[in-house]
Amino acid sequence: MTGIQVDPRDRRPIYEQLIANIRDLVLRGTLGPDEQMPSVRALAAELAINPNTIQKAYAELERQGVIYSSPGRGSFVCPDPTAMRRAEQAKRLAALWEDLREAHRFGFSRAEVEEILDEIWRDEHDPN
Amino acid sequence: MIQINGITKTFGDIRSLDKISVTVGDGSIFGLIGSNGSGKSTLLRILCGIFAPDEGTVTFDGQPVWENPALKGEIIYLSDEQYFLPASTLYEMRGLYAAFYPRFDESLYCRLCDLFGLDDRRRLSTFSKGMKKQAAVILALASCPKYLLCDETFDGLDPVMRQLFKRLLVDAVAERGMTAVVASHNLSEIEDICDHIALLHRSELVFARELDDLRGEIHTVQAVFDGEFDPTTLRYPIVRCARRGSMVTMVVRGEHDAIEASVRAAGAQFCELIPLTLEEIFISEMEERGYDYTSLI
Repeated sequence: MTGIQVDPRDRRPIYEQLIANIRDLVLRGTLGPDEQMPSVRALAAELAINPNTIQKAYAELERQGVIYSSPGRGSFVCPDPTAMRRAEQAKRLAALWEDLREAHRFGFSRAEVEEILDEIWRDEHDPN
Repeated sequence: MIQINGITKTFGDIRSLDKISVTVGDGSIFGLIGSNGSGKSTLLRILCGIFAPDEGTVTFDGQPVWENPALKGEIIYLSDEQYFLPASTLYEMRGLYAAFYPRFDESLYCRLCDLFGLDDRRRLSTFSKGMKKQAAVILALASCPKYLLCDETFDGLDPVMRQLFKRLLVDAVAERGMTAVVASHNLSEIEDICDHIALLHRSELVFARELDDLRGEIHTVQAVFDGEFDPTTLRYPIVRCARRGSMVTMVVRGEHDAIEASVRAAGAQFCELIPLTLEEIFISEMEERGYDYTSLI
């Protein structure tokens, strides 16, 4: 098992789901730097989806720099996901600003927002 | 590569196929969908050389299929109704297939019998409908065809066997570069595995497209408008539109981002786009051609 999944109830095309899922696994470090990706054939059989779809998703991930391929050896996770992670963080940060401004506009108090922050950071230190 | 060029086929005064032209690339899993009686099975029978078209040509890698035994050794037609020799067992049928299909793989045959859990020394006439289907699938896959033509193969298989068949199918495509044409009404089943889809309706080809492209250009839009919303201001074709209070639900043709921008420009407070499933695309396409159940009841 690779941890790579597609959800048949998800409305997005399978190849978009694959790209998002693999990006996520790389960002979280579940797929580590230079780790070998499952072959197209193995993943097709595991997920029972079209090998051409997987090939297409791998090609797009390679274009995005998430994975690289080595002729005759297969595909591997990029050696250094730092830049990728930084870009993702910048994107999330911009979204956070946007949402907080919206929350502010809709009359949320600073205390209410702080309560959320406290809860999230508490969960991080004590998952129970 | 399968090239279908301007195929027309009539039976008496019934026109079953009308000038169909489609190309199926190597290693593709090609879904063939359509309304009842639209000509799917006729097309498959022409592809495997059982029927000759009245007009047009079918070639596999440039070779015509009609009366071409060498090419037919590369093609398996998994018909909706299985044919087995009278009083035969699966083991005896294996001998027949091995005689006609040069790449028949004995060890794969044994592995498949184990996977499906079929006793190949039992008479096929004692098998249930689903088990007969499994037997036909085993013979087809063990023949290692370059081209596999499936007519409603998911029909009659239980969910576990359907999943097994799908895995074996994608494995043959990934391992050997097999090409499959899969005709089915079970759209959610073929949505997972097909890369291209052709839709037939009333003997004509409505479209043959890459599935991801197809799904990327028609969306269900849910939007909230405070004031009035005039659908004609939207620059994209609306297939269907319903309004309940301030919530408008519509099916719109166009790309995701472009539609969203256009709906927001029309004054939407909230706007969400969801891609259609293959089943919803099928129903929308049929509705636009006046084929829908609401006109029937």
